[in-house]
Amino acid sequence: MKKTLLVALCGLGALWNQLAQADETVLAGDAERGRQLFGACRTCHYPESYVGNHNGPSLHAIFGREAGTREGFEYYSAALKNAQFVWTPALLDAWMANPEEFLPGNEMVFVPPRTAQERADLIEYLKGFGEP
Amino acid sequence: MEMAAGGRARRRFMERLSLSGLGGLGMGAMSALGATPVQAATGSEVRQWDGETDLLVMGSGAAGMAAAIEGARQGLEVTVLEKFQLAGGSSSLSGGVCYMGGGTPLQKALGFDDSVENMYHYLVAAAGVHAEPARIQLYCEGSLAHFDWLNELGVRYATRFSSDKELSHGADSLYYSGGEQTWPFREQAKPAPRGHVPPAHNQTGGRELMKLMHAAAARLGVKVQLRMSAEQLIRASDGRVIGLVVEDAAGQRLNLRARRGVVLAAGGFIHNRPMLQRYAPELASSQPAWGRAGDLGMGILMGLGAGGNLLRMDHGFAVLPLYPSEEVLKGVVVNRFGQRFINEDAYYGGMGHAWLFQQQGHGFLVVDGDSDYPGPDYRFTLAAEAASIEALETALKLPPGALVNTVGYYNQHAARGEDPQFRKQTKYLATLTKPPFKAYDLTVGKAFCTVHTFGGLEIDLDGRVLDGWGSAIPGLYAAGRTSASLPVAPYLASGLSIGDGTFFGRRAGAHAAGKGA
Repeated sequence: MKKTLLVALCGLGALWNQLAQADETVLAGDAERGRQLFGACRTCHYPESYVGNHNGPSLHAIFGREAGTREGFEYYSAALKNAQFVWTPALLDAWMANPEEFLPGNEMVFVPPRTAQERADLIEYLKGFGEP
Repeated sequence: MEMAAGGRARRRFMERLSLSGLGGLGMGAMSALGATPVQAATGSEVRQWDGETDLLVMGSGAAGMAAAIEGARQGLEVTVLEKFQLAGGSSSLSGGVCYMGGGTPLQKALGFDDSVENMYHYLVAAAGVHAEPARIQLYCEGSLAHFDWLNELGVRYATRFSSDKELSHGADSLYYSGGEQTWPFREQAKPAPRGHVPPAHNQTGGRELMKLMHAAAARLGVKVQLRMSAEQLIRASDGRVIGLVVEDAAGQRLNLRARRGVVLAAGGFIHNRPMLQRYAPELASSQPAWGRAGDLGMGILMGLGAGGNLLRMDHGFAVLPLYPSEEVLKGVVVNRFGQRFINEDAYYGGMGHAWLFQQQGHGFLVVDGDSDYPGPDYRFTLAAEAASIEALETALKLPPGALVNTVGYYNQHAARGEDPQFRKQTKYLATLTKPPFKAYDLTVGKAFCTVHTFGGLEIDLDGRVLDGWGSAIPGLYAAGRTSASLPVAPYLASGLSIGDGTFFGRRAGAHAAGKGA
């Protein structure tokens, strides 16, 4: 499973992107609940463009961006730097649900959201920051 | 061909998404955690040792690394065990502030006069009934030597002072990180800035600090093993702690022997919900929980299972960051009865505590057109906006006249630069007269109030874990937020947790080596 995903991420990057963009998260999110939940992420991540990078990269306009390419962020793991995929709501959902399976070797240490609804709420909140 | 491959990849991807609905691996492991003591294994159960060293340290944050570095400096062979794939613990996510004083070289270079006595008086006053005078005295008397110790590790400060209440710009290294200039503390001890922080943008000084501590430890030969999760203490038949049962990345259980001792430095328990609800219900009620994912209380529960005593388990920081911007501090913070209850310029740890513990997490921040935030802010949502205080009071469903009285009384004195009730600093006093008037919702759960735990194992001044009779458990140390030490509630100043963890972590390492720090 892991190997397959790695191959998909590294070798089939462009194709993967097309597929992933077609997928939407199943649940409707609530941006206000997302704001409350996102507070825990603010030890490292800020979606406001005026803050920029923190312990983790800025999440401003995250959807549609190529992963691991935020200007000025020098702390990407090799795994993320080489991942070659574009962030979509579905991929962020998958990352938060199961970070180790999604991208082995990533260095984001966090307490995963407890439910799919919480992930949907977080995603809805992030969509409010500079989505193209 | 391409379509077929794509179809397979897509199916796998969708399978993954549906699997993920069941929760990640990490959560599975975490949900097994409870609030009960973790029983120590007995030495006679150990069939074989899979490794051996002098000092085993659980946790690679500031406290654990300080113990490791000091132990190694004094000749011990040291191994540090880190549960996750990245070292550094919560310290690496922190601002990296270290609370030091008594006339440090940086304080002197910037023209600030401080003394051990002033520092002591501030900390004793701010800790109130929870102060441990002997611990505070040792910390203050050792502060200059601690500055040198950090300097030897490579920690450098910029000769730049900031008068901001929170350091967010990155180029400065010294500031008033607590309530030194605020009432009542400014009357109890001569104020001095004691928050020392390596220059780093957006409060990422903790990452810089931990990078330096890990580099220093590596130079001293300290081994840091990632993805090694300490699960159980091992005790000899005479009660001495002689090692740890550790689970490696592959899920294998290993018995590691520690010839001189084990240091529990695995952080607090803000991410262990059952434990938080059992011991610190006020903290459990607020969001967000701040701390790295390892703050699961595991070190505390292991120490408890070995007979360690717990102290101040309901203490923690509850930081309600009204500032920045400091303009809003010209407004008033009222409870659900429309009354002020604290000086708005209080250190945000003091503000958060008064609000969460004494006002049950209810209230409003009331500002006028001049003191409002520059724009919408992620921390707080608007409860009401109105053209007059009367209309705002009605919209908030406050008791009739309550807010009008509060603001009227406040304005009457603020116009003269006075605050007879709560003695707010003059620079934050202004009449609230310019519409629109806004009330930001300070309701627990909605308001952004970061929480972290301070309670933990009782330790002596050398970091030895004490049992309920006050006797040290041989071979067992605790440091940082696994222990109950200098930080108490309300929190005294930013940088005291890192300061405490590194200072008493050092002492634990030195004691295990059989020498003083």
